[in-house]
Amino acid sequence: MAIPAPDTVGVPSGAGAPASGAPASGRAVVRDLLRRPGAAIAVGVLGLIGAMALAAPLLAGLTGWDQYSFDPSAIDSYSGGLPRGGWGGISGDHWFGVEPGNGRDMFMRIAYGARVSLAIAISATVLTTTVGVVLGTLAGYFGGWVDTGLSRAMDFLMAFPALIFMIALLSALPGGNRPVLLVLVLSVFGWPYTARVVRGQALSLRNQEFVEAARASGASRWAIVFREVLPNLRGTIVVLATLAVPSYVATEAGLSFLGVGVTPPTPSWGQMIASAATWYAVDPLFLVIPGAFLFATVVAFTVIGDHLKSILDEGAVH
Amino acid sequence: MTGQHSPLLRVQDLTVTVGDGATSVVEGLSFDVGPGETLGIVGESGSGKSMTALAIMGLLPRGAAASGSVTFRGAELLGRKESQLRKLRGAEIAMVFQDPLNSLNPYYTVGAQLVEAYRAHRSATRRQAREVAVAALDRVGIRDPRRRADHYPDQFSGGMRQRIMIAMALCLEPSVLLCDEPTTALDVTVQAQILDLLRQLQRENSMAMVFITHDLAVVSQLAERVLVMRGGEEVEQGTTERVFTESRHPYTCQLLDSLPRLEPVDDRQEGLG
Amino acid sequence: MVGYLVRRLAACVIVLAVVCVFTFMIFFWFSPDPAAQICGKTCTPDRIAQIRANLGLDQPFLEQLRVFVSGLFAGRDWGTGADAMHCAAPCLGYSFQTNESVTDLLIDRLPVSVTLATGAAVLWLLVGVLGGLVSAVRRDSLWDKGVLAFGLVGISLPIYFLALVLQYLLVVKLGWLPFPRAVPFTEDPVLWFESYLMPWVVLAIVYAAMYSRIVRSQVIDTLEQGFVRTARAKGLQRHLVLRRHALRPSLTPVVTLFGMDFAALLGGALITETVFGLDGVGKLASDSMATNDQPVIMGVTLLAALLVVVANLVVDISYRFLDPRVRRGTP
Repeated sequence: MAIPAPDTVGVPSGAGAPASGAPASGRAVVRDLLRRPGAAIAVGVLGLIGAMALAAPLLAGLTGWDQYSFDPSAIDSYSGGLPRGGWGGISGDHWFGVEPGNGRDMFMRIAYGARVSLAIAISATVLTTTVGVVLGTLAGYFGGWVDTGLSRAMDFLMAFPALIFMIALLSALPGGNRPVLLVLVLSVFGWPYTARVVRGQALSLRNQEFVEAARASGASRWAIVFREVLPNLRGTIVVLATLAVPSYVATEAGLSFLGVGVTPPTPSWGQMIASAATWYAVDPLFLVIPGAFLFATVVAFTVIGDHLKSILDEGAVH
Repeated sequence: MTGQHSPLLRVQDLTVTVGDGATSVVEGLSFDVGPGETLGIVGESGSGKSMTALAIMGLLPRGAAASGSVTFRGAELLGRKESQLRKLRGAEIAMVFQDPLNSLNPYYTVGAQLVEAYRAHRSATRRQAREVAVAALDRVGIRDPRRRADHYPDQFSGGMRQRIMIAMALCLEPSVLLCDEPTTALDVTVQAQILDLLRQLQRENSMAMVFITHDLAVVSQLAERVLVMRGGEEVEQGTTERVFTESRHPYTCQLLDSLPRLEPVDDRQEGLG
Repeated sequence: MVGYLVRRLAACVIVLAVVCVFTFMIFFWFSPDPAAQICGKTCTPDRIAQIRANLGLDQPFLEQLRVFVSGLFAGRDWGTGADAMHCAAPCLGYSFQTNESVTDLLIDRLPVSVTLATGAAVLWLLVGVLGGLVSAVRRDSLWDKGVLAFGLVGISLPIYFLALVLQYLLVVKLGWLPFPRAVPFTEDPVLWFESYLMPWVVLAIVYAAMYSRIVRSQVIDTLEQGFVRTARAKGLQRHLVLRRHALRPSLTPVVTLFGMDFAALLGGALITETVFGLDGVGKLASDSMATNDQPVIMGVTLLAALLVVVANLVVDISYRFLDPRVRRGTP
């Protein structure tokens, strides 16, 4: 299924954590990243999509349409509401055409959909990364009963049929602030995947010479965690977070596709694809446009994550 | 340098490059080893010692390439087909690696891994090969070898695993044995035992041995001749006695000075490793 | 081994119990009142109260939970007199929408999900494992680049999007395949195959992409291990080095992943079944969620949890055979 299977929710598919090497300077990593053509294109694509999301209200002023208002003149009611002029109704007026049936402007719905999708995915990433790093470091560095308790909780959550439970939960809670609810649900089942990796790395760092040296010099445990351990995990955390974003984008879209995510009329890419399911045979562009944006976003994040991982791996080798 | 008989293994002008051929980790190295002879290659870590051994075996890691000449019994090895090299590896030229903890496959019993090594070159039934394996384990001083052959690598200590690696390398009675820091990862008493074992086995088989180490003390016990390396290049080469007593090369003197005076086997393994 | 099994089974029971209690809590406190939904627009408070009593929804939380759990193990009796019916264990109650037994519904729908999951699994293992393996062995070759591209595109394609695009191309535009529907094999084997072909391929593409990435990176990691170098140094033939020394350590972690993924799909490929209209457990789940059919939601959730938990157990036990270190309990 396209929503990552339950056990892969929030997990960067197919990518482990990079070896945690000496902390490379952030600027050097970014320079290396932009020097790789694939990654540079991905950054460009994400930049465009991000700019479109941020500037959605401005673009609304520019095009003269917003994400909600119907345009009956753009659709042909005799043909059941198909956009006039073919090609999904693409025109100077409606840059990406209009939604069949009601004539809402596709470009605006895509742009506002990007705001919703990215906001949810990024919030969930920030939340799971924070929780995962804090709890993972605690478990790995302090060990003992802290580790036992946290590891049990992680095992439990990862053995949980997360996807079906998320859907059951979201369908049972019809109202509420959907985006916030989605972020919470994604995060509850997502943090163990970050925490598990961070725990493993913190565990191996604990016994390294520089940490032992800090300990021998009398630094407090918290000081060691913040000054020695966390900076060394930086690379791992960045890669995990970069690869978590696309998986949350995809999961949110999947949940919205199933009708338990973002509720109409608020636009979301997954939900737009869901509505296209009844129209694609006669208006394929209604399906292709949101699909392409969703695909491009997920690919771009994944490419950047993969490249970051390989850059940091190489840095660890040299 | 060449003995009266033609050398078993001859390395001439060996150069190993990594990356796009831009950096060389071994540069213009030449040496010979004859039957029953031991050559010690000494140098700090990163001096290209291991790459030299891997180049001889044809087992250089991805992205590394060797040029020059490596001949075994007069036949060139560099650029030889993988299928032909495979027939030499293990049977004629065997190698013992530095890290005994990672050199054995954790998924198979040590007996199975020895059997596999034997059967890669000799046509033997599983049972016959197993007898060879048990005998080899016995020879390297594994107690109760028949039972221990059915154990997995993680059931052995580091020293025991290195003995198993040696048993594996020797079960086909190769004519050349390359040892890449075989005792570095082991503690001092175990180190002495392994060196004794190697010396004894070499005498029994009249095998040529190339012993790579950063540890001059080990070399002084084991090798007739020494090659000192630094930064991928030869510093000097000569009989152990000459290098140890009359060397005028500043780098060799520096290495010698770092040796503790009294103990022949020292405990500074991690210092230079 | 016995002690281990007992501990593991206990853990499974706990997961199932927690899923059960949580789902119940959500229904009890958050969900819209099913009685009002059943009753419809022309409804009096009396009528709602009567429906609630009939469904047992008027009972306190713990009592409802107790009745449900005892129904699972001992069965339940419904109604009185002539309307009385017995629901045999494991009883999951009756659908609010259709009054069918949830247990029967699940049993009815399971074969479709199993067919879908099994066919897809065969395909994705073949493509994913072979693709990843060859890609790792011939690193940087054209093949490797192809597999990498496939992996990237495949994991990034939302399955519903892929499904709809393929359906548009193959069914609507080209007419090569019929619209998928769950035809029993015995009825029309050709139509059966044609109906499942697209769902299989769509599911398999997404998973094969993920698996090819994982297998590739696993094999590359393994090939750099010392024991692989040892195997080559002994003069082992290349295919033996790969098969015995590289493949086994690389694929052992894939077993875990596969167990979990396969179990999740047996419990219903929600999206694939919904998009293709296949009447499996996944479709049942999404339909019941759309109509707030609580007993059915409960049933599919518990079934999914059971499958995941059992898969976990099977994976853990199979590890003891696959990995000698686990078998002897050394880390």
